[in-house]
Amino acid sequence: MNRILAVVILIILGFFLISPLNLDFGHPQLGVSQYYINYGVVDTGASNMVTAIYLNYRAYDTLGEATVFFASALGVFMLLRREEERNSDG
Amino acid sequence: MDKTSSIVKIFTRKLFPFILLFGCYLISFGHLSPGGGFQGGVILGSAIILLGLVEGVKVTEKRFGEEFLSLTKNIGMLFFILIGFTGIGLGYFFLSDFLPRGDVGSVPNTGLILFLNLIIGFMVGTGIAVIFYRIVRHGSEE
Repeated sequence: MNRILAVVILIILGFFLISPLNLDFGHPQLGVSQYYINYGVVDTGASNMVTAIYLNYRAYDTLGEATVFFASALGVFMLLRREEERNSDG
Repeated sequence: MDKTSSIVKIFTRKLFPFILLFGCYLISFGHLSPGGGFQGGVILGSAIILLGLVEGVKVTEKRFGEEFLSLTKNIGMLFFILIGFTGIGLGYFFLSDFLPRGDVGSVPNTGLILFLNLIIGFMVGTGIAVIFYRIVRHGSEE
């Protein structure tokens, strides 16, 4: 049973190793990156393309990022309370 | 107790406003030059951390209180979400850019990007400073 499992895992890993060799580098499948390069300044008015993407096209992702930061700050807040705060919370 | 050399203290006091100014510059010019909300916010936070390391957290807390910094962080998060819902209220999608635009190259020309950068910058700066306060105080208790 273990040998069969090992063979299956090897085949899957080999597939993932070999399949990138056929990729056509320099010709992305998605056309959206070329759209950002061509129309980013017109659409957003930001000459910094990174900012144009992460605060205009992908602002929703940035909201998630800010949420992760906020949650981590809250976690530090909760774990490192002062003694009196910890006692008053019960 | 006071082991910090006076050279470091004086230089930190002189440098502190300039570090804050550089952070605000990075935030407000984030859409024109390299930089942005996160990077500028980290510089704002590191200025407060520098002051806290040199002068001590208690002295720094008189100027930048933990309550104030924490409130800024929470209000920033709230404003981010409120701006997103304003887009829906005006008939666009969530977090869409509903402000008018000026010429490329001027500072307030990109609609929401400037405001989102400001919000993220102050959120990250105050959040990092608050985390630093908490960790230092926790270490000094034990």
